Amino acid sequence: MELDLGPEIAQYRTELRDWIAAEAPPELPGLFDWNMVMTAGGRRGGQLARAMAHPAYAEWAAKLQDKRLVCPQWPEEYGGQGLDAVRLAVLNEEFHRAGVPRVNRGMGESLVGPSIIVHGTPEQRAHFLPRIISGEDRYCQGFSEPNHGSDLAAVETKGVISGDEIIVTGQKVWTSGAANANRMFVLCRTDVRAEKHAGLSYVLIDFTDPGVTYRPIKQMSGAQEFAEDFLDGVHAPLFNVIGGVNNGWRVAMTTLGHERGGRATVAHLGYEREFWELVETARKRGKNTDPLIRQRLAWCYTQVELMRFAGLRTLAQVASGRPPGPEASIAKLFWSEYHKKLGELAMAIEGADGLLRPEGDGYPVSSWQSVFLSSRAGTIYSGTSEIQRNIIGERALGLPKEPRIVG
Amino acid sequence: MALGVTEEQEELRDSVRRFLADRAPISRVRELMETDDGIDRAVWEQAGAQLGLLGLAIPEEYGGAGFSFAEQAIVLEELGAALYGGPYLASGVLAATALLASPDEAARRDLLPGVASGEVIATVAFTEDDGSWDPAAARLAAVKVGDSWRLDGHKSFVLDGAAAGLVLTLAVADGRLSLFAVDGGAAGLTRATLPTLDQTRKLARLEFDGVPARLIGSPGDAGAVMDRVLNVAAIALAAEQLGGAQRVLDMTVEYTKVRHQFGRPIGSFQGLKHRLADLLLEVESLRSAVTYAASAVAEDSSEVPVLASLVKAYASDTYFHVVAESIQMHGGIGFTWEHDAHLYFKRAKSSELFLGDASYHRERLATRIGV
Repeated sequence: MELDLGPEIAQYRTELRDWIAAEAPPELPGLFDWNMVMTAGGRRGGQLARAMAHPAYAEWAAKLQDKRLVCPQWPEEYGGQGLDAVRLAVLNEEFHRAGVPRVNRGMGESLVGPSIIVHGTPEQRAHFLPRIISGEDRYCQGFSEPNHGSDLAAVETKGVISGDEIIVTGQKVWTSGAANANRMFVLCRTDVRAEKHAGLSYVLIDFTDPGVTYRPIKQMSGAQEFAEDFLDGVHAPLFNVIGGVNNGWRVAMTTLGHERGGRATVAHLGYEREFWELVETARKRGKNTDPLIRQRLAWCYTQVELMRFAGLRTLAQVASGRPPGPEASIAKLFWSEYHKKLGELAMAIEGADGLLRPEGDGYPVSSWQSVFLSSRAGTIYSGTSEIQRNIIGERALGLPKEPRIVG
Repeated sequence: MALGVTEEQEELRDSVRRFLADRAPISRVRELMETDDGIDRAVWEQAGAQLGLLGLAIPEEYGGAGFSFAEQAIVLEELGAALYGGPYLASGVLAATALLASPDEAARRDLLPGVASGEVIATVAFTEDDGSWDPAAARLAAVKVGDSWRLDGHKSFVLDGAAAGLVLTLAVADGRLSLFAVDGGAAGLTRATLPTLDQTRKLARLEFDGVPARLIGSPGDAGAVMDRVLNVAAIALAAEQLGGAQRVLDMTVEYTKVRHQFGRPIGSFQGLKHRLADLLLEVESLRSAVTYAASAVAEDSSEVPVLASLVKAYASDTYFHVVAESIQMHGGIGFTWEHDAHLYFKRAKSSELFLGDASYHRERLATRIGV
């Protein structure tokens, strides 16, 4: 069943669908399964990079940019269309339906842009935002540090103000997309004497600066999706500090607040595709008649459907002018925990074959081994499941916080 | 499909909640669960005649209010939250759906108005001593004697079977599954209230000894009718389970905020907080599923059979998980007779087992999606 969002939205959907049909390069859907689940560190990263290097992708990106369909949820004055969550959801649905990619600008679009829109000066907005939309500036995140993951406000990377510059020194880690990035948004400490949340600044640095080096981190899946970064006296103009010196925590929190967008109704689609692929694998191996496997497959199907129902409920809620309910705050915990179970089931279905990897140099793995291994990262990055449960417990249920240990 | 909650639905929820808090509070539930039929007739009449809750989803032409199952699911959720023990599920869902799903227009005209007003308490008797939820397992025999039918055999696990004035009974006529209407006071019908684990839910065993019965539709109609009844009933029961799970979660969260140990509210300990967060995840997911499934029933969507097994399995696991955790988190008071937790605990288990447990429905789900 489809959600009835009224005639205006129906018209928007039709126009968009027609435009995609007319404009999308015909070879685009065949280049890559754009709907498939991307697990960080999965082996599909390389395939994605190849598909994005194809001329059809560049042609598509240019058309989208002309039509203001890159960062379309940003306000019009900053280069977007000011799309609301409902239209954004429709946009995502139609792109999925057509099998064409959204050209998104990654963390520049979802994290940095919104922070600049909320906390930046008019000059900062005018300078940084168009460069994100055009793809000229490609950001990676400099938040986590070797000693500070979940407790982000304790970061130690230093930012020293010197004249009209800030000089950043320290170590960051778990940076995804470092190889593609030319900019980094960094949370650093600019006042060591202040209370830990009060002495932080949010700085945009040049990731190609000679003071920056990064090393890929090899994950348990064998893939290298994350990096550790060494910032050694990287200079940036004070103009690149967003929201003012020592106000970085607030800016960083805005950033995180924008991580969830109008993807509510498409987030499940990749999992749905993946589920049916696993059923196909089970059939090939004759495991689809095993009652225990059937129980687990039915359980997984239920989880994917629950994501779909929650997405529709969120969208219906937003469409009627209300804020999303608690179902929106559980999404990250839900899919990441689910995906681990799916990976475990896939290995059960593979059986003895799960013991063996494909031949080849390095550590190549089968696609289900890749899901099994890389899904373990999902409950850790972007806020561990434990942090998610704290947030849900304290914000959605109103449970008291843990007493803070002073010192 | 409209999944947004309308103002009208909010008002319905509020009025049902107030009605139940006022007329059927948990203290009253405890009194009624000790009685044979568990019914407060005054409350039943008010729910039917005044509030129109019994015929909510029955079309106006048959004496109902003509709303959809989306509204009825809201009522069921509130009934589940209040542990209401009367025959709403039996009469307003099982029996009403059976009649609406049957091709027998005359029977609908004769029987539905009484069900809609609450004047008649009805139920569907389909299970027998073997406890199979599969209608095809029915053995109760229907034999035609002259122009009328006679039933011989038994039924068991019949929801509100002792109180019902109208028992829609699944029987085998000429080797085919058929539905019959039996008067609760018919000659040859012996009814025994069964002692139930969950005292708020009344089950009966019925003995049929040449009981006169009215055939609904034609012999062989009942297979399709029962498919619809069991699908809708599974979703209805899931709505009740959602209501119960939400109420118990709320109760437990409140308790962990006020109960102090080691100088702090116990809800501040991650050992409890994280488990409560997981319970919220489950209850919210169940809410999304029930809302969607109720819309599907209202729109007569082809997704209903898949959704029925999906939500019944998930609701069964979720409700039981929530209540089991609730007892643990309440500590000593949680396993006393005095505290209400055990009433919900028993209801959760009885709701899980009734119509088939989670494993049963997951297997059906696997089949229905074509694994």
